[in-house]
Formats: sequence, C-alpha cells, structure tokens
Amino acid sequence: MFNLSRVRLSALAAGALTACLATACGAPGESEESGSGGSGPIKIAVVNAQSGQLSSLGKWEHKGVKLAVDEWNKAGGINGRKIQLDVFDDQGDPTVGTNIARKIASQKYIAMLGTAESAVTIAMAPVLRQYEIPNIASGQSPGMVALKSPYLFLNGPTSTTYDETLAKHLVDTEKMKKVALITNNGAYGKGEHDAFAKALGDRGLKPVADEVVTIDQKDFSAQLTKIRQARPEVIFLGAEEVESGLIVKQARDLGITAPFAGAAPQGTPVFLDTAGAENAEGTIVSSPYLSNDISEDAKKFAAAYQAAFNEEAEMHGAKAYDGAQIMLTALKNSNVATGRKLADAIRAVRHQGLLGDFVYDETGVGIKATSIGVIKGGKLVKAEG
Amino acid sequence: MQVFLQTLIGGLSLGAIYALVAMGFSLVYRTMGLVNFAHADVLMIGAYAASTFYMSTKLPFAVAMVLSIALTGLIGLFIERVLRPLENKDFTLMLIGTIGFGMVLQAVAVLIWGATGHAVDNPVQAAPIELFGLRVRTYDLVVLLIVAVAVVLLVGFLQRTKRGAAMQAVAMDHEAATAVGIHVGRSNAIAFAIGAGLAALAGGLVGPLLYVNPTMGGAIGIKGFAAAMLGGCGNIPGAIVGGLAIGVLDSFAAGHFQGYSELVVFLVFTVIIMIKPLGLFGEMTVSRA
Repeated sequence: MFNLSRVRLSALAAGALTACLATACGAPGESEESGSGGSGPIKIAVVNAQSGQLSSLGKWEHKGVKLAVDEWNKAGGINGRKIQLDVFDDQGDPTVGTNIARKIASQKYIAMLGTAESAVTIAMAPVLRQYEIPNIASGQSPGMVALKSPYLFLNGPTSTTYDETLAKHLVDTEKMKKVALITNNGAYGKGEHDAFAKALGDRGLKPVADEVVTIDQKDFSAQLTKIRQARPEVIFLGAEEVESGLIVKQARDLGITAPFAGAAPQGTPVFLDTAGAENAEGTIVSSPYLSNDISEDAKKFAAAYQAAFNEEAEMHGAKAYDGAQIMLTALKNSNVATGRKLADAIRAVRHQGLLGDFVYDETGVGIKATSIGVIKGGKLVKAEG
Repeated sequence: MQVFLQTLIGGLSLGAIYALVAMGFSLVYRTMGLVNFAHADVLMIGAYAASTFYMSTKLPFAVAMVLSIALTGLIGLFIERVLRPLENKDFTLMLIGTIGFGMVLQAVAVLIWGATGHAVDNPVQAAPIELFGLRVRTYDLVVLLIVAVAVVLLVGFLQRTKRGAAMQAVAMDHEAATAVGIHVGRSNAIAFAIGAGLAALAGGLVGPLLYVNPTMGGAIGIKGFAAAMLGGCGNIPGAIVGGLAIGVLDSFAAGHFQGYSELVVFLVFTVIIMIKPLGLFGEMTVSRA
C-alpha cells in the first residue's frame, strides 16, 4: 500500500510545491484598513513588489511616492485633509495584483499609484476600470496603452519612446548596422522587443540575431554564443534589472565585447551590481532621467531623497515622485473628486516634473521623450553628440 | 558545433548545482520517505549566509562556505527535531510542515537581509579559459570539482561507514532497522542535516553565478526537484544524472525554443516520467511513502 501511493504522492508534492511558490513567497502583510469619508484622510494605495526579484523597483517607487506625499502632508494636505498612503505587496505577480485590485476597491481607496511591473498593471486594469479607480502606473510596456482604459495613466514614456530614441542614437547617430537583440518573454521584455524591432525596421535594418529568453532563465550560453557568432556592433537588451545583469556578466565571460544598449533597467544600481561595474562599462541607456544633476529640480529632489531615506535617488524614484505629484495636483484641482472626474482631472494636469513636461493625451501617456546616457566608470552619464 | 559545445558547458555548470539540490531531496526522501519542501529555502539561506560571511565579514570564500554549511546543517537538524513527533504518524502533516518551514525561512531572510537581495562577487577572478573558440569560466570548473568531491564523499559515507549503512537500512525497512537497534530518529536527523548542508553548498556556489534574494530558491528548487524525480527519487547516482540532464536540457531548450524553453523542458520531463514513473534509475528501496 505504501509503495502504491508513492507516485501519487510525488504528484501531490509537486502540486503542493507549485501552490507554495505561487502564494507563499510574500513578505509579511503591509498595513491596510482604515476609514474613509468626506472629511477623513484621502486614501491612496501604492501597489508594488515589496518582495521577490523585482522588489528593488518596488522599494524605489514607494520611496518616490512617499517623498511627494510627505511634502504635501507637511504643507497641510489637500483641503485640510491628510493624505493616507498604504502599501500593498504585489510580489511582481499578476495574480496577486488582481486580488489587490479587488481589495483596494472594497476598502474604498480613491486612487492607486504603481505598479512598476507592466504585467501586473495590465492584470489589475480591468478591475480598476470596473470600480473607476484612477491609476498612475510606472511600467513602460505599450501593452498598457493598448488597453485604452480611461483610468490608466503612465508616469513615464512607453517602450516605444525609449526604443525609438535609442534606435535613433545607435543607427542614425552612431551609424551602427549590425544590431543583435536579446529580450525576455515577459510583458516588459516583449514590449521592448516589439518596440525596438519596429524602430530598427523603420530604418530598414534587420537584427543580425534575435534571441528570446524566459524570465526565469539562468544560463544564457546558447543564445549568447549565437549572438557572438553574429558579431554585432551593439546588443539590445530587453529584460529586467537582475536578468539583464546576469546576461551581461555571462556575455563578457563568453568573450562578447560589444556594448549593450537598453532602457530603464540598464541604468539602475541593481543592474550594475549584478553585471559587475567592469562588465557593464559602455552600456548605452535610453532614459528620461539620466542622473540627479540634470536640472535644479532634480538636484533638489535628490537632496530630499537622500535626507529622507539615506540613499541616492535614481530614475524609478523620480518617476514615482512625478506620478504622485500629478495625482495630488489632480486631487487638489478637482476638490478631491473620485472616479471618472478624478481621471479627467489627471488628464488636465500640466506638470513640469523631474522627467520633463507632462501633457497627458487620451492614451494616458504624459511624456514622450528620453535622452541617451552611457555607463562610464560605474556611473550613468549623458552621451556625447 | 561551437554553439553546441558552448551550450553544453553552460548547461553542465548549472546542472551540477541542480544535481546537488537533487541529492539533498533524494537523501531525505530515501531515509524518511519525505519530500522536504523547505529544501529550496534552506538553499536560499545557505546562499545568503555564504555571501554575507564572504562579503561583509571578508572571510575567504571556502571558510564562508563551511560556516554556511554548518549553519544550515543546524537548521536541518532543527526542522527534523520539530517534525519528529509526526514521524510514522501523520505523513501529510510532515509534508505540510516542511512547506511551512520554507515560508518561515523566507520570512526570516526578509527580516535579516531585506527583500531586495544582493549580487555576489566572483571569488575566482581568473579570466575564462579559451579553448578552440570555446570559453570556459574558471569558476564553473571549480563548481564542477566541488560537486564531484561532494558526491564522492556522500557516496563514500553511505556505503563505507557504519552510520551510512544504518541509514541505508532505515531507508529499506525502518521497522527491521529499529529491531536490530538502529536509532531511526538519529538516522533521519543526519539525513536532514546532510541534506541541508548540500543545499547550502549549492546555494553558496550558485550565489556568484546568479543573484541572491529571498525567493531565489523557487526556480532552482523546482529544477532540482525535477532532477531528483527524473533520476528516480531516493537514488543518489540518479540525482546526479538527473541534475546534469535537467541543466543541459534547459540550456539546449533555451537555444532552440527560446521563450518556450521552460515549457519544452517540463514536457520532456513529463513524458519521461510517464514512461518511467519511478524515474530513470528508480527502484523500490524506499517503502515508507
């Protein structure tokens, strides 16, 4: 009897393992629950990964948002009402995200900031739309725009903008002809792949190699060896921070010397650490926020960020800060409206932010420019020319 | 040809790691008939401990590894001690108990090290070896060597020592083993401790290759578990073959099927398990599950 049940047990065990991985990998719950009404605090939900491989993004985003809200609260809030910010951990997982979407709807949050992971935002969007909760998200996948939800806004440019700027720099300015692609099959990677491939196509170029990896992949030898044989002048990288770092590290081990090029993730400290500063040297980055000294506002923001969290500000914090400022301005302008009225108020905001001048159109995208930077000596600096 | 060989090399080094993980799963399974679901998280703790000792306290990598193995060995003993009252009484509860321990370990890691994780410096700074256009990372060679030594030591322990023989006996028939005076609980405890040590070894070695964070056990644990099942759960040589097979299969699938590689790997795995339900080298030594 014992022998018979062995195989069945293995199956059960495998199932249990999967279930465990799907649900159990979270940090202990974050705060929630509090009353809401016409005069109580204004409840805004921050949804971001606070655990898992994408948690560094979530932490930066949260800090950026918190900085903005603290500033407003210190100045007396909105119409005398304090702003209450509650964090929800989506673990970077779309399923967890949809549950949180229902939770924030039932707990009467009037607006949401985040998430940094496009796939999670896309999963949450239908629920938020149903309950008319405006959301300023931090991802960059064009997939979010394709949803055409009137309640979904972005606090930065989409991949289309990042990659058009990048292709323009690489192909038009640097005259590179042999471009290889390596992207992952997640929402972010796929968006990057399609946007960059299109930008190349518009210039009459075909990538010399086009490799797709999975989001959990650990060994990239096969794909990188193929890329090495294609001898590209530059390799476009469409994956999140940690995976990008691993790809670059392994590429250098395999003797690939061509520089990598990418968007937001490639400008982050996590990418630099994972790849190793030496390996990441020369990486070309398309970003709306290259460094903390691009403008006076950026310097001020960076100083406040440093003072509040004792760490250096970077792009994701800046984006989230801009997004929060826009949300709070819209709340103020609309006399703390909710639902469609608040969404319209967000669309009407004209904000001079850290990333540039925000002017929202009907797609929910407010900013359509990035600049090109290069990693030099372990730091992202503006590219010449 | 170059792509083929380079892919093989890439697959082998991660495959060796999966083999270590699979050996840990198998060792506990053959002794207790239990799948230890905390195994992947013990690996994560091992990776954190080794990298912290190595980078923060600036200990040599080898010393950091030994400390980490000792520490996780203690965790293994603790888990077994807590679960011992359930031994031979409620198997399902034990299983769930190990899942629970996995969650606890993740939570502990978040408390101690934070949720974000860190990259680990490569302890072997030597440049990759170049051979006929192929590049072999020196660190990969070190990993393969250490894994080989660990395998020899483990097999030697199980086959050549009295304690090891006693564990074999418990694996085959725990009632008969008890009858001849073997302490089953102690045997289980040793299996758990060695299993945890193997996990820590795998975690410590994989740290510089990957990125250490509280959920890193997930992906490696599933592949390691699949490797154990593929080789025949409970069979130590099977675990090694299974680990290398999963690693190499994974690498080749990535090259050929790109974004669908994971799907292909587990489809192949499922087909093999359907044809040989006990795995490639499965045998009926374990009669307790």
